[in-house]
Amino acid sequence: MYEVRFHGRGGQGAVMAAQALASAAHAEGGYATAFPFFGAERRGAPVLAFTRIDEKRIYRKTQVYEPDFVVVLDEGLLESVNVVEGLKKGGVVLVNSTRKPEEIDVGIDTKLATVDATSVALEVLKQPATNSSILGALAKATGLVKIESIEMGIMQVFGDRLGPKIGEKNARAARVAFERTVVGESHGKRVLKTAEKWLPDVNNLPMGVAGVAMKTTAGAVGPGSFLENKTGSWKVFKPEYDEEKCTMCNFCWFYCPEGCIYRKDDRMEFDMDYCKGCGICANECPAEAINMVR
Amino acid sequence: MKLKELPDEELFTRGHTACAGCGAATAVRNLMKILGKNTMVVNPACCLLIFGATYPYLAWKVPFHHVAFENTAACATGMTRALRVRGKEDTLVMGIAGDGGTADIGIQALSGAAERNEDMLYVMYDNEAYMNTGIQRSGSTPFGAWTTTTPVGKVKAGKADFKKDMPLIMMAHNVPYVATASVGNIQDFINKFEKAKKMKGFRYIQIFTPCPTGWRHDTAKTIEIAKLAVETGMWTLYECENGKVKINRKPKMTPISEYLKLQGRFRHMKEDDIKKLQDWVTRKWEADEKYAQCRQ
Repeated sequence: MYEVRFHGRGGQGAVMAAQALASAAHAEGGYATAFPFFGAERRGAPVLAFTRIDEKRIYRKTQVYEPDFVVVLDEGLLESVNVVEGLKKGGVVLVNSTRKPEEIDVGIDTKLATVDATSVALEVLKQPATNSSILGALAKATGLVKIESIEMGIMQVFGDRLGPKIGEKNARAARVAFERTVVGESHGKRVLKTAEKWLPDVNNLPMGVAGVAMKTTAGAVGPGSFLENKTGSWKVFKPEYDEEKCTMCNFCWFYCPEGCIYRKDDRMEFDMDYCKGCGICANECPAEAINMVR
Repeated sequence: MKLKELPDEELFTRGHTACAGCGAATAVRNLMKILGKNTMVVNPACCLLIFGATYPYLAWKVPFHHVAFENTAACATGMTRALRVRGKEDTLVMGIAGDGGTADIGIQALSGAAERNEDMLYVMYDNEAYMNTGIQRSGSTPFGAWTTTTPVGKVKAGKADFKKDMPLIMMAHNVPYVATASVGNIQDFINKFEKAKKMKGFRYIQIFTPCPTGWRHDTAKTIEIAKLAVETGMWTLYECENGKVKINRKPKMTPISEYLKLQGRFRHMKEDDIKKLQDWVTRKWEADEKYAQCRQ
């Protein structure tokens, strides 16, 4: 049995990619399952999707904890998630990146492939939907399924959902990405922090937590503890602020859903640790002092 | 209070997990600035609950209670009464729920609390569907809108019924204060929450909060759409203070197609459906205006 784990962000289409891969494997005559994992989180937050492929019937229904292949749809995730967790020996990691495989450090020595799926998607689809391109790259990097089957799987899953025209375009994106994939080796040097478990357990909590945000071994709990959750990695575009043009109308400060724009004496300050890059500030600024840039 | 006088301190902190461009997040962090620290929050299942309080994190810096879907107003009633018994006269209890938890599931507890004129503030942030569970239609979803339970097919396309007029239902309870607000109109928003904070008795405010994920629009357009909703007449800004109704902003009556074209959930709408909705909007505005004249 081969197990694949997709790391993506909500809205990037990791779920559809997992389904299309299952569809492709099924077309080659095997058995396949695909399913996502949702936390209580929203668009832009890290999500997981899984595909299992086997020649026999698949009875395993759990999440994939020990994948053979890991697919990372967003390079930024490497910073916040340990993507190689449980990766089997001889496994392959595929990363959507403009860099070469040798330049990427996932913390362990492994076979690693990269493809600039974002550029492929922008070229072929005219929008940064990387899920189809990354599948083409997966076919090249792992040989798990043939690229022809991937194209068929994409036509089936994407075509059903979004119309045959879009299905075809996505299949083309997969083919382009297939040709541009670079396979190499990566040597892990950096030490990955092993995150504390999803704790504290309610029994370990000190009494009277409700007063202030408290530090525990797993992080803060209690009022205002969301401050620990840096949402800045969600963004694709970020605001660029021109102090000269700013009239201090405070509109952006009010409209920002995150509250990550701070008022200073004669200027605004943008906190990139929390900015999700929605672009409301730039859209609403009457003086056009804010621009969204990549 | 003017916009520049709003305090800097956030009682609903950043780091919450709302989608980028969330209108509800904008509404909540600003209304908490106006209501201040002496507030208790009661919140049923909704997006706000999830993105504001996911164990072990909490974005609120005021006492916060998660209650069952249908009893927000009932729980807020209990908390208010307990506070009054303990002699805390000026602590404000705010029930805040989405449109599903207010207009559909929570309406019986809400109606009961309003009828008893409990001393609390009830806020409904109206994103026009059950967004938390994945965009299902609610009583507050407008005509023609796509949701996962009003899909676009060959026979039917989008919701076939019109939006429930929740503020009007609340006004029929003869409560001291009912108002509609929008995240797009800053001063109006501030005025209404300030007024509600000072009053006693049952207060109801409904805020219009666009949802980029559910409405399928660009995350940057949230505020633009909220403003357009007011200008097209889709959403009327008015308040009813001790029985007297006052329109806060007369819409320009921009054609609703301007409002619809920004949103993916209306993309399928045909000419005659748009006309049907436009007629409804025009009639609604005329009715609102007449109603305000009658209850001056």
